Amino acid sequence: MSLKPDNSSPSPPPLPPGSPNSRSWLRVIVIGRNWKLTLCRTLVWAVLCIIIFRVALVRVEVIGFSMLPTCPEHSKYWVNRCAYLWHEPQRGDIVAIRLAGIHEMLLKRIIGLPGETVAFSDGQVLINGAVLKEPYETNSCDWEQPPEALTNDEYYVVGDNRTMPAQDHTHGRCPGYRIIGKILK
Amino acid sequence: MKIAIRLVIVIVMAMAGTWLWSVLFPTPQHVIRARLNEFARDASFTSSQSTLAGYLSAQTVGQFFSTNVEVTLNLPGNPEFIVSGRDQIVQSMIQAHAAVSELEVDFPDLNVTLAPDQNTATADLTIRAQIDGERNSLAEEMKFTLQKIGGQWLITHIESVQVLT
Repeated sequence: MSLKPDNSSPSPPPLPPGSPNSRSWLRVIVIGRNWKLTLCRTLVWAVLCIIIFRVALVRVEVIGFSMLPTCPEHSKYWVNRCAYLWHEPQRGDIVAIRLAGIHEMLLKRIIGLPGETVAFSDGQVLINGAVLKEPYETNSCDWEQPPEALTNDEYYVVGDNRTMPAQDHTHGRCPGYRIIGKILK
Repeated sequence: MKIAIRLVIVIVMAMAGTWLWSVLFPTPQHVIRARLNEFARDASFTSSQSTLAGYLSAQTVGQFFSTNVEVTLNLPGNPEFIVSGRDQIVQSMIQAHAAVSELEVDFPDLNVTLAPDQNTATADLTIRAQIDGERNSLAEEMKFTLQKIGGQWLITHIESVQVLT
């Protein structure tokens, strides 16, 4: 008895590269089984990415040393532009303050809220005459500054590095509309 | 599928048409923005520039200003800087060439507002300058006032804006 190969149900011959069927798996990987669904999904992701990374968050790099030691030079942060949609800026927040736009901003900490009076005495911050406790302020400071009253839409902002003379440190009253958002740390 | 392709073609053609229109018929805001960016490029110089090239460059920068231009700058940590007249601007630029070896100026944010008379405009901008290669030596908000004189937009006034008061 001899065995012969069964030719009644032949297996399909291998497809040559480049034939329509060999390309179908590639098509499924690239655009999916349903191209309309893939297109919708891509559009949704694109819109979400634009909203998150162009509108809601802004990437910033610290240039300068006015926020030492909290924010070292060349460190990078995200600024949450939606942080103050539902509530007003709080004391202690580190905020980004816009110039003419958002490509260059100041990074400062809010120490005075609208309507308050801010002064510096022997390096200590006085809010309405009372000393403000600043756990983040580790450096010595000898600033002297007379009381300044803030209007209803002004915040007092200053950097954490107050070792330099006050006149060399950009700080002061900031109108609320200039505050872009709060940094995420 | 055909509808989608047609829609894409229509959108692309509309975008191309809008771009072409803005190139052929630019708005005064576009013209001013282009002119200010050109000013920033001309005000910049590298260490390889010779003294003569610096002198010529200063003369070129002077052409962006009106003859009676006024510049008032109050930069933090610096005394007030006031310059009046185009000639003084050119002189200041020549001095700047002598004082620093490299200057790179640009305006990362530039908002132009046209006055109702269409002949005056204000540009609220952030000026960023790198002096001698030092990164972000200066980043300040400034307000430029421009006037259309002889068909050209010339800078008539520059003042620094105090972000924090």
